[in-house]
Amino acid sequence: MAKHDHTHEHTAPPSDPALRVKALESLLLEKGVIDAEALDEIIDTYENKTGPRNGAAVVARAWVDPDYKKRLLEDGTGAIAEMGFSGIQGEDMLVVENTAEVHNMVVCTLCSCYPWPTLGLPPVWYKAAPYRSRAVSDPRGVLAEFGVEIADDTEVRVWDSNAELRYLVLPVRPEGTDGMSEDELAAMVTRDSMIGTGVIQAPK
Amino acid sequence: MAVVTADMVAELSATGASCRLDETATPRFSVGDHIVVRNINPPGHTRMPRYVRGKRGVVQRDHGVFIFPDTNAHAQGEKPQHVYSVRFTPSELWGGDASDRDSIYIDMWDDYMDLQG
Repeated sequence: MAKHDHTHEHTAPPSDPALRVKALESLLLEKGVIDAEALDEIIDTYENKTGPRNGAAVVARAWVDPDYKKRLLEDGTGAIAEMGFSGIQGEDMLVVENTAEVHNMVVCTLCSCYPWPTLGLPPVWYKAAPYRSRAVSDPRGVLAEFGVEIADDTEVRVWDSNAELRYLVLPVRPEGTDGMSEDELAAMVTRDSMIGTGVIQAPK
Repeated sequence: MAVVTADMVAELSATGASCRLDETATPRFSVGDHIVVRNINPPGHTRMPRYVRGKRGVVQRDHGVFIFPDTNAHAQGEKPQHVYSVRFTPSELWGGDASDRDSIYIDMWDDYMDLQG
């Protein structure tokens, strides 16, 4: 910005993506493709009605109900729909189970594909080039930056959601949670544990 | 009248639009097949990540039949074909001293691969 000898604050112009979104919004509204109330409803849906609490409910159910877990691993889309979660960016789900032998983590190297019905919209880092490139080339290094250390004899298995499948990680149920209710368990499940960039700590 | 109105949003978001097709297509590969990814560089849309081109992997699972995005994105038809989960080793993808204890699973359409010769 040019040098000024006065001290008042200037209003910075919006960023390029913000301007592009405003232009698209204006066009969609003016051409009558979408109405303003529908836009509000879409924003409300993805800000308030979907998010990782949905996935956490799925994980907790799988931990307490072996039959549900079996269905979840065999037919992820169907078992997740049983819990009331389905739709855009979750049409074809595959649930991958973390065990002592395999630690799964998910990335979309091509863009930002992510299971919306169970996790909501992706965090900024998931869409950023450093995560997308390094998750496949140096997964253990990325995990270390997330504070996750995976045992040397455990396979780190990275899933690139480059096609139409969307992936949800079923994290390991922490020790010391035997007496907990399904709701208490769901409250422990973090978003990152379902991407595979986190593990769930045992309760203190 | 807008094409998308507020009362349609809940159903639209809960339904989505799967690219899975209900039709049959003959799979070119079976689980356990050793494949090599075609080294293609299409000028248009593709869902094949550049880092697997020319690389060798093993088919782990058949996901069923899906629309082929490379043609569909250019209005050249759905070209239904199978999509597979294919396992690659770090040393195959990155060379050097990468450990093969770990793995990368990538989803590949029939038209992206050939059997290893």
